Amino acid sequence: MKLKYFIPLLVFIPVVLIQLTVIPLISIQEVVPNLLLITVVYFSISNGQIFGTVTGASYGLLFDFISGNLVGSNMLSKSLAGFIAGYFSGETRREKYLYTYSFTLVVLISALIDAMIISFFSVIDFNTNFLQALFNHALLPSIYTSIVSILVVVIPYKRAFD
Amino acid sequence: MFKLFSNVWNQFREYLVLVSLVIISLSLLTQNNNPQVQKVRALAFGSFATVTSVFYDLFNITQLKNENKVLRRLNAEMMLQLSMLREYGILNRELKGMLGFKDTTSLPIIPATIVSKSISITQNTITINVGNKEGIKPGMPVLSYRGFVGIIQTCSDNFSIARTLKNVDLKLTVKNEKKRLNGIMKWDGEKLVIVDVPRTYDFDIGDRIVTSEISSIIPVPIPVGIVSKIEEDKTGLLNLVHIKPFEEVLSAENVFILMMVENREKNNLELNFYNRR
Repeated sequence: MKLKYFIPLLVFIPVVLIQLTVIPLISIQEVVPNLLLITVVYFSISNGQIFGTVTGASYGLLFDFISGNLVGSNMLSKSLAGFIAGYFSGETRREKYLYTYSFTLVVLISALIDAMIISFFSVIDFNTNFLQALFNHALLPSIYTSIVSILVVVIPYKRAFD
Repeated sequence: MFKLFSNVWNQFREYLVLVSLVIISLSLLTQNNNPQVQKVRALAFGSFATVTSVFYDLFNITQLKNENKVLRRLNAEMMLQLSMLREYGILNRELKGMLGFKDTTSLPIIPATIVSKSISITQNTITINVGNKEGIKPGMPVLSYRGFVGIIQTCSDNFSIARTLKNVDLKLTVKNEKKRLNGIMKWDGEKLVIVDVPRTYDFDIGDRIVTSEISSIIPVPIPVGIVSKIEEDKTGLLNLVHIKPFEEVLSAENVFILMMVENREKNNLELNFYNRR
């Protein structure tokens, strides 16, 4: 069995620890960056679409179980986010999207998909202004997540999991 | 046949994997109240919370100093209030005795520490370091010295997850403490609001909001927040009352659990009434 299949599981524990303990300290009006999503996007671009989709689903499911969220909601959203990020994978695209600032753009797109699906399960009702809900619940967290994802490009550990 | 499947798999495998995972997640979404799923969840977060609690302490040592300062001041204020309340208590007992009222029971609370917070705009939850072993059960209210924090959702042996006020799945019956008007309060993803309030209801900015005794979950009044804004809803027929909570979940570190679950006797009585043919 290749080691690369176990790396996401090993990475999951420290990432989710930081997400649940440190990240709340840097929240702005309940808007927090989503480190799990950044990790999913990273694995999706570096290892391909199927790998990203399965990693997203596993991360989402585990996160649902340990965080008390609706079981299945993060699994669904992160599977799709991983799938979308997978479109930026491939021999030629990998270098372009993983090691440059384009990575933040891919994170932004995937985070938007992720946040919109989560919002759909949480806040949409007849009184909600859809555009405003989209802005508050999807766009702001996605922008924050993509800003934080700059660290992946800047910090020189990027080839460690390849 | 095999070749056909093989061709289909080779051409559409990404989509097939995605569709399978979407189907699995959708079916899981419908199974959230399944006891098996609850059991797996309790096991998963119970194991993980043990690790999180150690990690969380490391990052909160710096905050403890400030919190101690606030608590010392609060302690002094409470001491003054306590001496006043003692006076009232003695007087109250005497008056109740004179009127022949039954004595009220004291409310058992147990302290707990928050070991992790899952912060999102819509589904805030906290994990606390008490569980089944301490007698915690789903439905018990979580509060701090400032006011209401949330409700226990799931328990493992040593840890519990609570939905906080800023969770769209938590809907609470509250009342205006002064005007005695009830309403349903919920987090709409942006603000805490009492919804569908008739425009004839006399809510004012600054009114204190407490949990209502109508609620079968929290039968004692716990402070929730104050009215910060009143606006018309989209229909123009009802009001939305904005609430500023007393307790900000983000800054909360230590909480208490009120060892009280919904009153089954009362619920059964009400259900029997509604089910009467």
